[in-house]
Amino acid sequence: MNTTGKSNSTTVQASKEVQEIHRRMLRRQRFNRVMTYIVGILIALWILVPIFFIASMALTTPATVRAYPKGILPFIPFSLDTMNFFLSSEGIVPGIINSVIVAVITLLLSTLIAAPAGYAISRYIFRGRDVFRLSILAVRAFPIVVLAIPLAVVFIQLGIFDSIYSLALMHTALTLPTTILVIGSVFASIPYELEEAAMIFGCTPVQAFRYVVLPLVLPGIAASAIFTFVMSWNEVFAAIILTIQNRTLPAQVLNTLSQSSEPYQFAGGFFMLVPSLIFIFLIRRYLFNMWGQITK
Amino acid sequence: MKKRNWAPYLLILPSLVYLTLFFAWPMVRGLTLAVWDEDASLSLHAEAQQDSPVAGRLPQGTQIEILDQQGNFVPPEDLEEGNLLTEVWFQISGEDADGQTVEGWAPESRIRVREEAEDGTPVVGSVRTKLGSGADPQTSIYAEPNENSEVVGKLEARTRIEILDLATLEVWYLISGEEDGQTVEGWAQSRYIQVFGDETRGRIDRGNTGQLTTGFIEKMVNDRFFMPALRTTLLLMVIIIPIQFVLAITMALVIQAGLKGNTIFLYIFAIPLGVSDLAVGILWFSIFTHHGFLNTILQGLGFIDSPVTYLSADTRHWILVAVWLAEVWRATSIVMVIVVSGLQAISQEVLEAAEVFGATLWQRIRHVILPLLRPSLQVALILRTILAIQVFAVVIALGGGDVVTVLANETYRQYSDFRNPNVAAAYAGFILLLSMISAVIYLRTIRTQEEAAE
Repeated sequence: MNTTGKSNSTTVQASKEVQEIHRRMLRRQRFNRVMTYIVGILIALWILVPIFFIASMALTTPATVRAYPKGILPFIPFSLDTMNFFLSSEGIVPGIINSVIVAVITLLLSTLIAAPAGYAISRYIFRGRDVFRLSILAVRAFPIVVLAIPLAVVFIQLGIFDSIYSLALMHTALTLPTTILVIGSVFASIPYELEEAAMIFGCTPVQAFRYVVLPLVLPGIAASAIFTFVMSWNEVFAAIILTIQNRTLPAQVLNTLSQSSEPYQFAGGFFMLVPSLIFIFLIRRYLFNMWGQITK
Repeated sequence: MKKRNWAPYLLILPSLVYLTLFFAWPMVRGLTLAVWDEDASLSLHAEAQQDSPVAGRLPQGTQIEILDQQGNFVPPEDLEEGNLLTEVWFQISGEDADGQTVEGWAPESRIRVREEAEDGTPVVGSVRTKLGSGADPQTSIYAEPNENSEVVGKLEARTRIEILDLATLEVWYLISGEEDGQTVEGWAQSRYIQVFGDETRGRIDRGNTGQLTTGFIEKMVNDRFFMPALRTTLLLMVIIIPIQFVLAITMALVIQAGLKGNTIFLYIFAIPLGVSDLAVGILWFSIFTHHGFLNTILQGLGFIDSPVTYLSADTRHWILVAVWLAEVWRATSIVMVIVVSGLQAISQEVLEAAEVFGATLWQRIRHVILPLLRPSLQVALILRTILAIQVFAVVIALGGGDVVTVLANETYRQYSDFRNPNVAAAYAGFILLLSMISAVIYLRTIRTQEEAAE
């Protein structure tokens, strides 16, 4: 009796200790969790607060933009006057149209040329595959600044300077490597066995691609196309070198930056930022496809 | 996987062709601009003809004497080219003093046009009177539109003539100049020569023979903005990249922790990935400008009594701080995404094992996560360094590009403001060189570390 009671009490004691350790671990885990949340929220604020600042400046009256000190809720009074002022400034609407044309051409060209190459590097093992991938990576990491000057000079010699189409050609060269790698990773995520199965069931390779692979990869390819659009929409150095009369939006804003008023600048910054916010939201699932690829 | 066949080559062909046409080829052509002077020297011909042998060369800018001149055939498309001097010759026919019909060529300066056709072509004219006492009163008519050709006859002044044809000729000069103490003499086209007022002297305006030169690189290095631009670019690189990696790894760990609302964090952290550098520059400008948010907040908290000016020529350090924050804000996301995908590749068991054995967070990061992340970090580091060397629009938006300048800005200025694509190409080549050197250094360092670890 006695012995059993003793052993019982040790068991109880031991389990108490275990419980204590368990509790401590749980507490530590919860503490870690809370700390992680705090760190995450702080970083999120670090990113969001400047965006809130510029948004509040762009969506109010020019008078409020110039006011000092700014209010605690600078949004008030809400007004589209500043945006209107920016959009009605000289060269802005043509700049937006140019930017969209350039970005759409870049998106189409880049995707059309990159899709077969992306398919090839994910589906075939061929001599020179690694060399091809490596050179694509090298081109991807290449400084834009270095390419813009040579291309401008060549375009002048060819007589296609200061045209948004030549800028689109340049943007395609810049975005092509990324697009190839991203589309490659999109294809790589679809098992080849699916295609094979379709062919066993009597599809031709083209049919297998058309009816089995294509529907599966389309969202990924769309995401990569959107990213290509964003890259072209944002690009400013090549745009300002290659165009003089037919400026794109960023080139136009940069060119007039030093002579313009603060409402113009803030509205311009906000206007360029909004598409990025939307597009990054649309393709957030694919971001790792895009950049994860290049480390593999 | 399929077995090897021709299909993949066909599939990668378009991209290869495209990158060759719009990447490799312009690159090579463009970068040679930095070391190749197209107008370095002018070839002088023994006779006033394109196909006559080259008698010597004179470098661009040489002062020359003009000994003689002569008109020569010029292809019509060359006439559009600037600053070439032309003379016009008429093919005429008229009667000489003996009543003989003379048909031949005379320079425009000797003929007065009397009648023109509807489209402006001269059809009838008369021989001009020669001024000066000692001169031959008659005008020589040549077999060809060239003063060195055979004289087919002579016409008296005021003879009425018919104008049959006209020829536009480019003037060639017989010039002589000195190079390295040696006199070089020969014929050259007027388009290359700038003639001074009295038409006996001039200088070689541009050349037609290219030559390797270090002149553009020297010009870049001696440019007064070169050293400041290089220093600022390197300084920004050094202060931006370390903090960026600490922040990016922190972000990645937050996302990897699998909190509720993970996807929201991921989206927010990734936002700057899609924002243009110009927009980011403007974003931070709204904070640092005189009547901006930083002053508003500081004044609201009572730290300052009146707004402080941050972004001016006298406050260079504040511009650097603003650029630093803006770049950290903008370009940390890409590092974060690379690190997160690297983390996802690390097996969860390894991380859990470290945790079970009681490793603290710092120990786990230092001894497990960082070593396993090395390939990802290496890629991110190379990518970020190359991007940092190109920093451009943020600096323009925050500092205007004069007080604080960077290499990319100087490239742009040389090209656009100073219209000097050669020096701009030298800058571009320099940026490329810096990028390559830093990539090699990273790869080397990391390899040496690995060897040391083994």
